Parts: sequence; structure tokens; C-alpha cells
Amino acid sequence: MTSTSQPLIRLEGIQKVFYTDEVETHALSEVHLEVQRGEYVAIAGPSGCGKTTLLSLLGLLDTPTGGEYWLDGKPVAQLSPAERARIRNLEIGFIFQAFNLIGDLTVYENVELPLTYRGMAPAERKQRVMSALEKVGMSHRVKHYPAQLSGGQQQRVAVARAVAGEPLILLADEPTGNLDSTNGEAVMHLLQELHRGGATICMVTHDSRYERHADRAIHLFDGRMVGDRALELVPA
Amino acid sequence: MSAVLGNIKLAFRHLLKSPFVTGVAIASLALGIGANAAIFSLIDQMLLKRLPVPAPAELVNFKAPGPNPGSQSCSNIGDCREVFSYPMFLDLQREQTVFTDIALHVGFGANISAQGRTMSADGLMVSGSYFPVLGIAPSLGRLIGPDDAKVKGDGRVAVLAYEYWRGALGADPAVVGKNIIVNGQSLEIIGVAPRGFQGTTLGLQPKLWVPVTLREQMNPGWTGFEKRRSYWAYLFARLKPGVTLEQASASINTQYSAIIQNVEVPLQQGMSDKTMAEFKAKQLVLAPGALGQSSARGEVTTPLAMLFGITLLVLLIACANISNLLLARGAARSGEMAVRLALGGSRRQLVSQLLTESLLLGVLGGLAGLGVAILTLKGISAILPQQATSTFVPHLDMTVIGFTAALAILTAVLFGLFPALHATRPDLISSIREQGGQPSGGRAAARWRTALATAQIGLALALLASAGLFTRSLANISRLDLGVKVDSVITFGVSPELNGYAPGRSHLFFQRLEDDLAATPGVASVSAAMVGLIAGNNWGNDVGVEGFPKGPDVDDNSRFNMVGPGYFATVGIPVLAGREFTRYDAIGTPKVAVVNQAFAKKFKLGANPVGKRMDQGNDSLDIEIIGLVQDAKYSDVKDEIPPLFFTPYMQDSMVGALSYYVKTTGDPKAMLPVVSRVVSGLDENLPVEQLRTMPEQIRDNVFLDRFVTLFATTFALLATLLAAIGLYGVLAYTVAQRTREIGVRMALGAGPAQVRSMVLVQVGKMILVGGAIGLVAAVVIGRVAQSLLFQMEGSNPSVLAISALVLGLVALGAGLAPAIRASRLDPVRALRYE
Repeated sequence: MTSTSQPLIRLEGIQKVFYTDEVETHALSEVHLEVQRGEYVAIAGPSGCGKTTLLSLLGLLDTPTGGEYWLDGKPVAQLSPAERARIRNLEIGFIFQAFNLIGDLTVYENVELPLTYRGMAPAERKQRVMSALEKVGMSHRVKHYPAQLSGGQQQRVAVARAVAGEPLILLADEPTGNLDSTNGEAVMHLLQELHRGGATICMVTHDSRYERHADRAIHLFDGRMVGDRALELVPA
Repeated sequence: MSAVLGNIKLAFRHLLKSPFVTGVAIASLALGIGANAAIFSLIDQMLLKRLPVPAPAELVNFKAPGPNPGSQSCSNIGDCREVFSYPMFLDLQREQTVFTDIALHVGFGANISAQGRTMSADGLMVSGSYFPVLGIAPSLGRLIGPDDAKVKGDGRVAVLAYEYWRGALGADPAVVGKNIIVNGQSLEIIGVAPRGFQGTTLGLQPKLWVPVTLREQMNPGWTGFEKRRSYWAYLFARLKPGVTLEQASASINTQYSAIIQNVEVPLQQGMSDKTMAEFKAKQLVLAPGALGQSSARGEVTTPLAMLFGITLLVLLIACANISNLLLARGAARSGEMAVRLALGGSRRQLVSQLLTESLLLGVLGGLAGLGVAILTLKGISAILPQQATSTFVPHLDMTVIGFTAALAILTAVLFGLFPALHATRPDLISSIREQGGQPSGGRAAARWRTALATAQIGLALALLASAGLFTRSLANISRLDLGVKVDSVITFGVSPELNGYAPGRSHLFFQRLEDDLAATPGVASVSAAMVGLIAGNNWGNDVGVEGFPKGPDVDDNSRFNMVGPGYFATVGIPVLAGREFTRYDAIGTPKVAVVNQAFAKKFKLGANPVGKRMDQGNDSLDIEIIGLVQDAKYSDVKDEIPPLFFTPYMQDSMVGALSYYVKTTGDPKAMLPVVSRVVSGLDENLPVEQLRTMPEQIRDNVFLDRFVTLFATTFALLATLLAAIGLYGVLAYTVAQRTREIGVRMALGAGPAQVRSMVLVQVGKMILVGGAIGLVAAVVIGRVAQSLLFQMEGSNPSVLAISALVLGLVALGAGLAPAIRASRLDPVRALRYE
């Protein structure tokens, strides 16, 4: 049951410590954050500040060393790997800097992949895949392999893969990092369109040009949240 | 040259860099190459080795397929299509024009007394043309020549085998001119055969040669020189220079046909028109004789070919593993290769460098393989039956070492070529640049790896199935009811006639031996038989049976045996009707016989044949059947039980050799030396032949089945282990290669079970494809092996199903660890994995 009165994401006192060769690295310390439904949040900061670690925790790819995490009102900080995988599949969509399309699968199969993990019926999968690909303007490339696409096209397919499952939240990790400025802009516009359509987005970026596409920016420094401010919407 | 040395040095360095992997590769190769070398050694010794005589290719063996009416005596020199009568030999020798000469040889059991010791051994009776046809020179003295074998009973000379002369007579050069006692006959030693010459028959290694004209002296009671219907002589010849096999065949058949038509046809009586037509049409067949003449060769060809095929498959599986290993290494070294290419190294140079590493692995594997081969050969030698140990020598000669070297090099090229070509592919530099400086496994390499692992599964399944077939076949054999109870029975043979005993004295000896053995503590009962029980011997005779009609082409042949009192009780054959023989069934009393159920059935004697009459082919019905015994195996464990009649040996005055059966009350093995002592107590010069327990004799009778099963199973398990290692390696490598992809899948919601199943589905596909290939191969192997299987089909469904199930489980087991490792990957790290 989804509640509309509570934040979609709520972090309280989140910590992440990495232990390597008797060295403790505090990647995140005392992070408190709430993200409302429909928000477009940019997570910014210099390299090594903990942006990607925070995104990994938000995406349930990793577990916090301390603190609490509620996703859609449910505590998710200490779930089993299988349960975290189920939630990732149903509630979260990922967009990576390196696209991370699977080279042996066609465009269609890449987008279809998360839906197959749900055990969704083929007919519904097809409808969702085609709808997602149309949204990103890649429906004419369904039979192509990633290697046959440009970087911008690959990232659009990655976006389609992220939204095909209609997740609660989209997590984007430097989505323009591997793209030239033209393609980078195109992908940012795509995210903005999705946001306008109601999608909740958390995007890691270190590029202030793209930070402005979000309506809220969080700044991290040495693993701590040092800023949280609202931004003005950039016209489409 | 310096480039080659540089490559070798570099190859050593690379191999030493990862000693564990190098060790595993060398061990795999050693097992594969060693097994092949061992089986090749057997093949070389039994099937390929040419006779150590000048120009062996000029030798030809004679065969005459078709009816041989009369009596036939065949041995391990050849089957019954290869024996001729002595008159036919003399006729052919006189008439022929295409050979330097025709030679005759036939084996015989020889009791040899020399320097106060008597031993039982094989001897060979030969024509005067034997050594001249072979063209060999003596080590000492002279060899038997035409003048030594001219007249029946003449030629009281002997030629000693080199090994016997050296071993038993201490290589005494003064033996020439001295006498030796052979089967009670004093013969003059005229010479010693050349070193390494052991006759022309595999499995028959004579200690001496005597002229065939002494046959009646060597085989007391035998008469067959003048009989054209007595077939016993094996013939071979040497082609005259320039004469081909075809020309010789055409020429000798002209003479052979004339002898058949003009001399032998008029002698035949009671033959049907059909048999007569076949007899008249008989042709001499000349077969290449470079390898000598031996029936054993035919018996071992299929099993050895089968084992060689199996070991080659094992080696192929090992090669696949190493090829995969090298592909993985190549991927890890693609940066190095790219730099070398960028610096101007040619592809040929790089390929030769990588192939040098493969060759080095191959050479090291080959050297270790020689050790494995020696151990394997020693193992084979240890399980050989006693009588076969002289045929086979567990050593590696230059031929086998050469074969091993060639195999090691071929193997190295086989497993090294594709990885070398792949690691130096022309697009390497660009592909690495595209991958951000990291090596790419490449789709071709991935496909090659998967294909190799799939093929390994297929080959291993085929080998498992073949091992299953042989094991099942052996189980069928072991479940057979032999019809005898001989668990505590000892058997041995004595041949007093070969020590010069007259028939009457032999009989007295036999009775005293029976009495002495029966009085020995630990002995429950004793008896004897002329034809050894389940010892591979057959004696047959045409019989007349009361109420059974005779006629042309009517099969009235039966196997027979002469046995002593209490025989059936001693070997545990139940008497179903009447009685068994006693000491009162002796010379001078009415002739009696006991028949088995198969005999009663064949000759329509009804449920109780006791009281009916029969004869041994002289139409006199002079023998009364006094007993019916249950069917029991006769010659071989695997043979159908033949119609069989028994007569008391005590009613035959000519019996001069018997096999004894001693039933013990305790452990029969413990009684073996006791039995030897009892025989020595009666005559210390009489050799005890083939002393062993009956269970050992029965095991030896099915030695070939046990041998093939043991080795097929060993190699199949080895192949399965190698295939499992190979599959594990491929999957572990694939999981490592797909780490990032697995991370992506996890990010998209794939749970641990889904990641595990992703890897296991890959295993499943490989099992399905490899299994299908393996099942087809297994059916093919089953067909080839059909002749070696007992009471089962080569495509036995349950064996195939069980093999597939076992291999499937092993493959899944091999895939489980990489699958679990994949499912436990940390997605964050996996996504960062390059």
C-alpha cells in the first residue's frame, strides 16, 4: 500500500564506512535526507565526496553501516540480498554513467531484462518495452545491439530500461559523464520530460550545468551533507 | 637460433610465473599422453611389431576357408581355416614355383629336462624349411634345416630359444652338441636361435624348436602324418623376389585346386552335394605375414582399438582444458601482445613465441607422461593372467618413446594454435583501445571456450557410457550361473607322458596321485579331467546316438571330456539321473558315458537318457549312458553350454596328461604349495602346470572383459574429472568476465537465485548440447564395442540414461561453485569492475 503523505525516501543518520587493511574510510556520515514523490534531486559535490556511495545506498545496491532508510514508508536498510533485489526490480530504475547495456542482448532485450526478472507475462512486457522505447525515441532500433548505437543512443536505451518497469524512483549516476555536450543535453531533456511526467529522480552529477535541471540540489563534502537547496526550473 | 632460445627462455619464465596452473596443465597432459603411450605400447607389441627377420613383408600366411572334413586341431597360431594336412603341405611345397619355400609350424607342450631340472614349456615343431624361409641366422651353432626333417621319426635335434639358453642354461656356449630331454626323448642341441626371435606367433613363445618329423615322439599316441583328413599344420612362405601377392595367389591356387580335385575329392565320403561343391571350390588365401601368424591378434584388436580410442578422447579432453587455460592467459596478456605488435613485432614472431610455450608444456607433459605410461604398463602387467605375462613386456622401447614425442608435439599444436592465433589477432590494438586499455575476451574466444567445454561434456559422457556398458557386461558375466561350485577347488595339470611315461605307467601315476592328494589333510575330494574346466580348451567328436538318425550334413558333433571318479561331486555338477563314474569304470569293464542336458536335448534322448546307447563315431553304439548331469560351462565362461558327453579316463589306455581338481576344506590358496609337494613326492621331475585356484582360472578366462572394463572405467572417470575441471574453469572465467554484467543485472533487480540460475542455465545448455553429442558418440562406441559386450546391446538405454544423469550431476556440481560465487558478488564492486 503506497502512502502519499510520507516522503518517498527518508534517510536518518546514514553512515557508510569501508574497511580496508585496518583502515576505516568514512564514505558517508550522518546523512539525513527526505525526497518527496515527484521531486528531481541533484546530488552534487567534488570527486570522492560520497555521491555514488549515497546513490548506491538509495538504490539498495549497498547497505549502510549505520542509520535508517525508509523507502515508500518501509524500512529497507537491513534487508536480505534477495529482498533488496526484489525492491530494486520493482521500485527503482538505474541509469549509469557507462550506460551498462549488456552487449549480447539487443536493444529490445536490454529494456525487457528487468521485466523478465519480475516474471511479467510476455505480452505485457512487450507493451511496456515498446512504450518505454517510444518515450526515448528508440523504438526503431529494437533489433540493434548496443555496439551498433552511438553513446547518446545507448544512454537513451538505458533510460528506457530504467523507466520500463515504472519504478517509484529513477537513480541516475552521472548520466552524461560519457557523452558529448549535445548528447548530454539531449539526455538531460529526456530526464526532465520524465520528471514532468511525474517521475521522481535522484541524479548524481558534478557538472553544475546539469545540476540546474533538477529542482533541488544536495551538496556533499567528505561524506557529509553540506547543502540542500531548491533550484529554479530550467525551461525545456 | 638465438630467437628460438629466447622464445624458450621466455616460455620457461611464463610457465614458472604461475606454477600451480602450469603444474595442473602438465599433470593433465601427463595423464592423457601417458595413457595413450601405455595403450600404444600394447598395440605396438601385439598388433604392429614386425617379425625380427629380414624383409618380413615378403612373408605370407596360408589360409584355406571352406569345409575341412575329418579332424581339425587348431591353436593360438590361427583358427581352423588356417590348418592343413601334412600331405597337403608336402604337395604344395613340391609343386609351388612362386615362393622361396613353404614352411610348416605347430606348437606342442614340452616337458624339458636339462641340468637336472624339468620344466613345462611351449615348443614348436617345424619343417626343415622353417628357418630358411625366415632367413635368420643362429646365435650359436646351426638351425634346423631341410636335412633334419626329411623322414618321419628322424631329426632328433633341437634348437634352443636365446632367452631359454641364457636364462635356464646360463648362456653356456658348450651346450651345442649336448643332449636335452624333451618329452622323454633325448635330442641333440644343434644351436641357439637369434636373440629376440621368439617364433612367429603372438602368445606362443617357444623355448625350443624341433623337427616336425618328431611329432609322433613329441605327442605320444598321435598319428596323422599320412592322413589327408587330419588338419593341424600351419603354413607360411616367402615370396620370391619380384613376385606379388596376387601373382603368388593365382599361381599357388592352380596347384592347390588340382590337388583338391584330383587327390582329395575322391577321398571324401558321406558328404552332401552342397558341402562337396564347397569343398571343390576351396581356394588358398594368402595373407600378409610380416607380423607372423596368431589368432590372439584378432582377439585383441577390437579391445585395444577401443581402449586406444578411449585414451585419445581423454587426451582430447585434457587438450581442451589446456586450450581454455591458454585462452584465458592470452586474454590476460593481450596488453603485452598489443605492445609487442605496436613495437613492430610480426604476428608470426608472436605466434611462434606462444607456440613455444605450448610446445614446452607438451614436452614436459610428454616426459611426465612416460612415467605415467610405465606405471600404467606395470599395472597392466600385474593383472595379466599368468600365461600372458611372457607375451607382454611392460617397457617403453624407442617406438613408443617416438610415438610419445610425436603425440606431445601434436598435442601442443592442437591445444596451443587457436589461443596463439587469437592472442595475436590483428585487431588487438584497436580492440584494447576501445576497451579503455583492458583486454577483451572476444566473442570468438568465448564461443571457442564454450564449444570446448561442451565438447568435453560430450566426450566424457561417451566415455562414461562406454565404461557403463563394459561394467554392465562384466556384471552380466559375473551373474552367470556356471553350473559348477568351485570356490574351494584347486586345479593343476600334469603330463607324465611328456616325461616319457608309458601309458600304463601314467595310469598308475594318476591313481597314486589321486590317492595321495585325497589322503592329504585339508583335502575334501580329488578328481581329474582330460579337458580343463573353463580353461579355454575344446575337444569335439562326431557321435552316434541310439535313435538319432545320421546323414550327410546332419550335425552329430558333441564336445566331450574324459574325467575321473568323483569328478562331478568335486566340481559341483549335480547328477540328475543315474550315477557318476567310479574306479570300477576302468579298462576291461563295459564302456560307459555320462551326458549333459544339452546333449540329451540335441540327440533327443528325453528326460532320462540313462540306459540309452551311443558311440564315438564308429556306428557301434558300444557305450552305455549311465548318468545325466546338469548343464555346466565347458570351455569358456561366455560360451553357450554345448552338448557334452563324458567318459571315464580310466577306460582309455592312452591318456597321458590330466588336469586335476582338488576340493579343499579350507582356504584353497593355502593348499597350493601342499599340492605341489604331493606331486613332487611322486616324481620330482614332473612339472606341475598351471597351478592355481579355480576362481583364479575363471577370472583369467574372462580376463579381456575385466581388463577392458577396468581401463574403460578408469579412463572414463579421469575424463569426467578433466571435463568437470574444464567446465569449472570455463564458468569461473566466464563469471569473472561477466562480473560487470552481473552487477548490472543485480542493479536491475536480479536476485541471487536469478544470478545463480543464469550461470546454471548456461551449464544446462552446455549439458544439453554436449549430452546430445555424447549420446550419439556413445551409441557409435556401443556399436563398435558390441562384439565385446555380453548379453546386452551397445545402445542399452538404462546405461545411457545413468551415464547422462551422472555426467549431468557432475557438470552441475562443477557449475555450482561459479554460480554461487556470481550470486554473492557485491553489485557495487561488480559495477566498478573493469
